[in-house]
Amino acid sequence: MISLPVVGIVDYSSGNIRSVINAIESVGSKTKLVKAPDQLKDCSHLILPGVGAFGYCADQLRASGMLPALENWVFQESKPLLGICVGMQLMASFSEEQGIHEGLSWIGGSVKKLEKCLESNVRVPHVGWNDVVFKEDFGQIKSGEVIAFYFDHSFAYQNPELGKELAFCWHGCQFTAVIKRENIVAVQFHPEKSQSAGMKFLKSFLAL
Amino acid sequence: MTFLSTLKKRIIPKLLIRNKVYGKQTRPILVVTKNYKEVFEVGDPVSQAMIYEAQLADELFVLNIDSLPISQDLQLLHIIEKLASETFMPLAVGGGVSNLDDFALVLGKGADKVSINTAAVNDPSLISRAAERFGSQCVVVSIDHRFDVSQNRDMVFTHRASRNSNLDVVEWAKNAVVAGAGEILLSDADSDGFGKGLNLDLARAVTDVVDVPVIISGGCGTAQHFVEGFEIGKAEGIAAGTFFCFRDQNPMETRAHVRNAGIPIRIET
Repeated sequence: MISLPVVGIVDYSSGNIRSVINAIESVGSKTKLVKAPDQLKDCSHLILPGVGAFGYCADQLRASGMLPALENWVFQESKPLLGICVGMQLMASFSEEQGIHEGLSWIGGSVKKLEKCLESNVRVPHVGWNDVVFKEDFGQIKSGEVIAFYFDHSFAYQNPELGKELAFCWHGCQFTAVIKRENIVAVQFHPEKSQSAGMKFLKSFLAL
Repeated sequence: MTFLSTLKKRIIPKLLIRNKVYGKQTRPILVVTKNYKEVFEVGDPVSQAMIYEAQLADELFVLNIDSLPISQDLQLLHIIEKLASETFMPLAVGGGVSNLDDFALVLGKGADKVSINTAAVNDPSLISRAAERFGSQCVVVSIDHRFDVSQNRDMVFTHRASRNSNLDVVEWAKNAVVAGAGEILLSDADSDGFGKGLNLDLARAVTDVVDVPVIISGGCGTAQHFVEGFEIGKAEGIAAGTFFCFRDQNPMETRAHVRNAGIPIRIET
């Protein structure tokens, strides 16, 4: 019997897991919490959520023992993985949030406070709905589209060396909103909290 | 200061929740208040939230006004869980949150941001500890204020705006941000429920000195009050309870008015 596609949500005690499950199920997919490497085997897609301070999330993910299996998933098996918010930022080489913390280096680059790139004074944290400009097609979303998504962050991704910037946003300066490196998608906003725009984004990821 | 961003202003329905005893059962219900004292029942918080979602509210702010410790309020936690599964918009929750375990509990139910009020005044280190663990972006310091005749100005009040803390509003907002607050919810208890307009002077005094987003609340009675709050008060978000619950006004109509005034606001999803 062929098992149905299931979206695995990596549970390393650092995410808004509940919201991600709700959103994925509302677009018609099954979900499964993934806490151990052997739970990956029924999954077709993975989501790496992340809410909280970078250092804390990175420590939790390393302590979970899931990292080798996740790296095998994205680099050997080339299966789709979506990192959300801090789940995106973890893919950098390092972050400057509360001191320097080493990231996973999946996409390279660094994570810096939004203020550091500012020419003007905008309010940080960057909280609320902001326009995201897509430079490339992503599933149902076409290049050139401008769509408002919900953001809630103080730090942002800089120079995704190994990935392609699919979309950007503007808050005092331009920053990367969506990165894609082959089957890895990383997003700074919260698709799971972005009403119908978010659902469209999640469906596009699930079509990978 | 110039603020170069395409960020939209936010219209935020406020859901005040209180437990009501029906015979042997206790059930959380949606209410609105006047002056934080008189309480009017509205109905079911989850169905109201679903209406707000259909009307494109930008965020929901849920406040438990019983001041029961949130970890003991299983019914309220269940409501938060339901709100997070029935709506797909940002959810801020406050009322009865007093330690890091409470933060973790509420976030685990699907909230995105947690607000603290009396607990932050009692122990400002809670702000820093929460910011360190969960990030500033999820720590909202909620400030209730009332006019104090002896001081001839508004002061910070705690315990559902019933006790004067003798803290100055602007100073406390500044200190809360230094401690790590990622957002301030500024609520005028005296104006609550009257629909006569927001306290714009105090809002502006706060938004001029802090660089985090400020949500203001208390007194919205017309869509024009929202425009004033954004333009004069320089608020990033405006929260309202009574305005959306009882009037023939909904977030979509308010949004159209705000947009016509030339203020950046989300028009569709």
